[in-house]
Amino acid sequence: MSEITLRDLEKRYGETTAVQDVSVEIRDGELLCLLGPSGSGKSTTLRMIAGLETPTSGEITLDGADVTDQPAYERNTSTVFQDWALFPHKTVLENVAFGLKMRDVPKDERRERAEAMLERVQMGGYGDEDPTTLSGGQKQRVALARSLAVNPDVLLLDEPLSNLDKRLREDMQIELREIHEDLEETFVHVTHDQDEAFTLADRIGIMDQGELIQVGEPTEVYENPANRFIEGFLGDTNFVDSQVVGVTDGAVRVETELGYELVLPTDRNPDVAEGTELTLSLRPEVLSIERDPTADAVEGHEQPMLADGSTSNAVVGTVENVLYRGSTVRYSVSVNGTSMFAERTGASTDALTAGEEIRIEWDGTDVLAFRTDGSRVTL
Amino acid sequence: MSSSLRREPLETAAFRAGYLTLLALMLLPLLVVVVTSFSGTGRLAFPPESYSLVWYGEFLDSVRWLDAFTNSIVIGVGTALVATLLGVMGAFGQEIDDGSLGTVLAPLVLIPLLIPPVILGITLLMYFNEVGLRGSYASIVLAHTLWATPLVYFVMRSVFSRFDWQQLDAAQDLGAGPVQSFVYVVLPNVKHGIFVGGLLAFIISLQEFVMALFLSTPSTETIPVLAWTEIRQALDPMVSVVSTFLIVISVVGILLAVVATNLEWLSKQLS
Repeated sequence: MSEITLRDLEKRYGETTAVQDVSVEIRDGELLCLLGPSGSGKSTTLRMIAGLETPTSGEITLDGADVTDQPAYERNTSTVFQDWALFPHKTVLENVAFGLKMRDVPKDERRERAEAMLERVQMGGYGDEDPTTLSGGQKQRVALARSLAVNPDVLLLDEPLSNLDKRLREDMQIELREIHEDLEETFVHVTHDQDEAFTLADRIGIMDQGELIQVGEPTEVYENPANRFIEGFLGDTNFVDSQVVGVTDGAVRVETELGYELVLPTDRNPDVAEGTELTLSLRPEVLSIERDPTADAVEGHEQPMLADGSTSNAVVGTVENVLYRGSTVRYSVSVNGTSMFAERTGASTDALTAGEEIRIEWDGTDVLAFRTDGSRVTL
Repeated sequence: MSSSLRREPLETAAFRAGYLTLLALMLLPLLVVVVTSFSGTGRLAFPPESYSLVWYGEFLDSVRWLDAFTNSIVIGVGTALVATLLGVMGAFGQEIDDGSLGTVLAPLVLIPLLIPPVILGITLLMYFNEVGLRGSYASIVLAHTLWATPLVYFVMRSVFSRFDWQQLDAAQDLGAGPVQSFVYVVLPNVKHGIFVGGLLAFIISLQEFVMALFLSTPSTETIPVLAWTEIRQALDPMVSVVSTFLIVISVVGILLAVVATNLEWLSKQLS
């Protein structure tokens, strides 16, 4: 049992607010990733959970007990730091046994447990080494072993993988995932890397400018982002500026900077009116590329509404740039002077070339719309 | 090998010669002092007319000089202990405190260094009279601490600025309380710096004359105070003998500091 509740957490340093209005319930045994760009307050939030920072206001409970003002050394949380913070004057084994020593575990027992933990992270036999001579990946494992050795209620990970190279990072992500599944402990993992968050997390909490904007399962935050920031942060997308020209039953018609009037189907009465400015998000994976630009839908630059309520939107543009990215090929396309991009898998044999005129199609229901303040329009 | 054989530019050579000359000129008086201490006659002259260890014998037979020597060591060690404790705690406290009070108060530590020692000496004499510390070791130790603490503090600020503070976070995170985390994690990283700071405080105290002159009594007089009294009566090579001892103590101290700061490097070379 180790649930963490953060309630209205706020941290200010003088005039600057690092974290504000953060409330979340972290479930027992889950792996929650706090994801956000640097300076978004995710590490500060983690340090408040660890007890290394005291919140300016708000409350933290651990298994129902208020620990807000409890110092780090009295909390049974354990942190793996970004630079690992191994003690350079102690051997690897002494590092791992340190927390047990502080808990007055007898010498023989702590030696045994530390060695077992080193085995667990595949660092058995390194006990007598000087930690400063280890490689980044090895230091990372030792730091993990040191934190796990005290058998914490909650393991906190503050971007511990960000200093490793890509290949090692991906291996460690899988290993972390396995360790989490083995231990069934609550993990809170801070990262700025969305791939890492999607790989590891049971749930992702996305932070921006000190606020926790959305917490949800990976698919949920990706497919159903709360605002424009998340939509842009979680992957590449085309943001298209537009203005509402008409709201009819079941559809919002918008005039876009692409020079096309598009239809956004809706099954409710969306809170927009004629003249409302919207930013549309067209993710590359919902776009399909057709080589024949002269299909019916394009006529008149106005999109028809289909009988089943969906719309098949399409625009015609000229391929400007071909970017080969291994598994995918990205095409930069100019549509009436505005550039957007679409992708195809690299396996496609009929490669497009620059200068070619193509048609980009998508289903209107796949388009997300955001107001100018970034909030999402529920369609 | 080839790089060391490369001719060094004329400018570098001239600069090197220049500063070596300057250094030699500054150190030359020390040589005079050491050489005259081996004088065989009662006159303080350079070069001495004859050489002998007679004045070293006189020194070791002189109860007054030996007492002064003991006093200097006692006061020096006392100063080193108190100043190191205060300087280390001050610098450490300022590092871990995120409030702005520390930043405002820090320059205050400099004040004792800015007040002329004569004024400090007179003021402290009156003050210690009031509180009943006059004539005690404690009065001179406290006066020297006033000077030594800022120096230890600045040494420690620089030592702590090179310390990876995340280690302190890690220690506390693993359950080490304030005292444990300092002893087990901070101390092993900064102990050489603390030693150097303490040594500096000791040497400051050993050399200090003006405040000691005001505050000492015949039973607590330090070497510089006794030397001054003696020189006023007769200029004999005993002063040189005493000075030679002071120089030796300082040099040994500096060597110890060098060894302490390079101990890790040394141990790596030996292993």
